[in-house]
Parts: sequence; C-alpha cells; structure tokens
Amino acid sequence: MLRKGQNENRAGAMIDKEALDWLVRTRDPDFTDWDGFTLWLEADPAHGAAYDALMVADSELDSWLPAEPVAMPVAANDAGPRGWRPLRWIGGGAVAAALVAAVSIGMFTRSDIYSVTTRPGEPRTIALDDGTRVELNGGTTMRFDRNNPRSAALDAGEAAFTVRHDAADPFRVTVGDDVFEDAGTVFNIVHVDNATQIGVSEGKVVYNPDAEAIQLPAGRGLAEDAQGLRVMAIAPEAVASWRQGRLIYANAAVAQIGQDIGRSLGVQLTVAPGAGAQRFTGTIRLDRDPARFFAEAAPLMGLTAVRQGDAWLLKEGDGPQS
Amino acid sequence: MADGLSAIFLAHRPALLRFLRARGAGDDAEDLLQDMWMKLEAKDLGPVADPVPYLYRAANNLMLDRYRSATRRERREQDWSENAGGVMADPVEATAIDERMIFNQRLEQVRAVLRALGPRVELVFRRFRLEGVGQKLIAEELGVSLTTVEKDLQKAYRALLALKQKFDTE
Repeated sequence: MLRKGQNENRAGAMIDKEALDWLVRTRDPDFTDWDGFTLWLEADPAHGAAYDALMVADSELDSWLPAEPVAMPVAANDAGPRGWRPLRWIGGGAVAAALVAAVSIGMFTRSDIYSVTTRPGEPRTIALDDGTRVELNGGTTMRFDRNNPRSAALDAGEAAFTVRHDAADPFRVTVGDDVFEDAGTVFNIVHVDNATQIGVSEGKVVYNPDAEAIQLPAGRGLAEDAQGLRVMAIAPEAVASWRQGRLIYANAAVAQIGQDIGRSLGVQLTVAPGAGAQRFTGTIRLDRDPARFFAEAAPLMGLTAVRQGDAWLLKEGDGPQS
Repeated sequence: MADGLSAIFLAHRPALLRFLRARGAGDDAEDLLQDMWMKLEAKDLGPVADPVPYLYRAANNLMLDRYRSATRRERREQDWSENAGGVMADPVEATAIDERMIFNQRLEQVRAVLRALGPRVELVFRRFRLEGVGQKLIAEELGVSLTTVEKDLQKAYRALLALKQKFDTE
C-alpha cells in the first residue's frame, strides 16, 4: 500500500530528527538527562540504531572539518616559513569604524558582533540599520550584530528601545537567557547583576516567546531576580524617564534607585544597607551637578547624602550632615 | 579508585544496566557493564566531579565503539566480496594525488556549507564541535538562549551530515 510506505518514511524522518536532537544533547559536556535518553531509547529499538548511525557519521566528520575556517590550504612544499601565521575569523574585521557613537568597542570572537559600552553618566544613542533606536544609559554594555539589525543583547546596565515594528521580523533583545520580543514598541530594560526589569510604554513586548511567552502590553512591567518572576503594573510615562532627565518610581527600593542614579549621573554612590531597604514613590529630577542633585533628592527620599571625596553615600536620617 | 565512585556505581548499577539494554546491549549488558567498571577501576581516576554522568558517558561510548567495530566488520566483509570478483589494479601513486585533491575539494565544500548557514551558526558549531565548549557557555558568550544554541547545532549537523552522505555516495 502506497500510503503505508509514506507513513514509514515519515516515521523514519521523525526518528532521525529526534536522534539528531539527542546527539546534540548528549554530546554536550554538561549533559545530565540520561534517564530521559534511556526512556527515548526504550520506546523503539530503531531509536538506538538511528542514534548510533548519526554518532558515527558525526565522528567521521572529523577528517572534513577545517581547523580554521579561513586558513588557506598550504601546499606541503610551500617555500615560505612554516611558522605561525595569523588567521582571521571570516575574512577579518573592518568593523569598528561603523560605530561612531560607541565609547569603547570591544571586539568579540566574531567580526560582525560588536559591543558598545558607555561610561557611567554618559548615555549614548545607537541607530540601527532597520530604523530602531537604542538609547543606552550610562554604565551600560550591549552587543549588536552587524548582520542582523533586528537583534541586540543587553549584558549590563539600562537601555530604552524604540523599535520599528515588523510583524514578520520582530526585534529581539536578549538579556542573559531571556528574550524580549517586540510587538510594536517602546520599552526599557535594566539588567544589573542577575536581576532584570523591563517596562513597556508603548505597544507590546513578549517575554521569552519560545517558552513562557508572557505578553507585556504598555503599562506592564516584568521583573526577574532572586525572588523569581513577577509581572506588575507600571506608569507608562515612568518608562525610560531617565531620557527626559527624570527618574519616576512607585514603591521602589532605594538600593535600586541608587543604582539608577549612579548609572544616569555617573556619580559613585553607595547606599547604606538601612537606607537601601527603604521604599520610595515619586519623581526625582536628575541634575548634572551632584551637590545640587543630592541636596534636592536626598530629603525627597527622607535620606541624607554625604559627600566622601568624589563619591557619595546615601544613608538614613535627615539630621545634620556629618 | 575512590570508594565514592564505587558506591555510586553500585547505587546506579540497575539504571546503568537498563540504559545499556535500551542502547541495544541485550544479554551482554551485564558483562559489558562489569567489564567497563573493571577498566574504570584500573584507571584509578581519583575523585570524579560528576560521577553519575561520567558513568553514563562511559557506557554510551562503550556502545558506540561496539557499534563502530560491528559496522567496520560488515564493511570489510562487503569490500572483500566486491573486490574478489573484480580486477584489482594497483595505482598507489595515482590515488595518493587523487585523494589529496578530493580531500581539498571536500574541505572547501564543508567550509562553504558552514559559511552558508551564517556566522552565528558556524561559530556555535565550531565552539561546540571543534573546541568542545559546553552549550550553556556558548549561549552566555553570544548572549543568546540555550534553545538558540541547540537549534543552531541541529542546523549545522543537518547540513554537514547531508553533505557527508553526498561524499559517501560519490
């Protein structure tokens, strides 16, 4: 019967696909799911056979895999010196010039991935080829892909995204293992240590579209930190307010506010533990002059600011400054 | 060998046997496992960081070797019967040059296939397959999700295994 043959082919292709899946997984030095692998093998003797065949084919690839992708084969009787010669990744990296806005550009292993780092207090705007605008706050590191203007990675710090929406090719921001995908959007992401916070002011963002797929419309925020994943309501006008020289908070921990201030103004700021645990609701106006800024901001939060050389300390109490 | 590994081996013995059977060892599973354990013991590895995955990996490699030598034997027998009927020429010199040319051509084709997949896929595959870097670390390095790394690897493998199949039938 013809149909039966087709079904068998399809089943074979399915097994091959799964076997490849397991090959990729079991070849990972960190692989631990041997129980899951056993269950898959037990389900059908054809599974093990397909896996073995692929594994052997994989090990036979060794002889064909070029050790260096762009090393031209050197004839054995080449007269030139046989010493080390510089080898470049995919034809080398004339890339740096493209990024005028960057304070420092760190080249990674690939010439088409570039990283942009801003110093504290020195925000920068990056215009991507697709019309998307990324505003990096001070003290922020991001990576972009020259070949794919629809993606970016926020490694540390804070950035606001004004995305040119394209439903067929959504813009994606990677933060650690998480992905935020735009659906026509202005949004802001803060990533400090292992905590991530996103606020959406226009349109919609999808958190980890391939996993949790949490929809974040305008006015919604999401935080992910040691306490887990939380979704909350936020004021859209508070999102990325640092761009307008303001920081807007609703019941935010002073420790977090301290980080925002340091990043935005480029001052070295320590928050005493007691002060850091306090909560603040309101708007703080940013001022480039630290003395003037703290004179206004500290009492607003019910705290005291103390100058320590070039650095500042925020602590509890509004008594006389020591 | 540390007593720790020995205890862990004993505790996981049934599961390892089950794995070997699922892996196609059949009635040989007990003997194979015993053999494997004696070889590991003889090696005197000292403490092993992740003993359970380590034992499973050893068992997996064992079955892979078994499969490999079985197919090699099969191939040898097949070659023998094919050659026995034909006229055997002996062009030692000629094949050496030929083979080098074919080798270089194939190397170029592999490069082209990898390049066509895009730089990220190529980089992920290179880090994983040639440099032996774990997928989690690769994901961190590139700032992408683990799923993306897995998918990139599957893509690269699919393309390369298809190319290899073409080589094998040429």
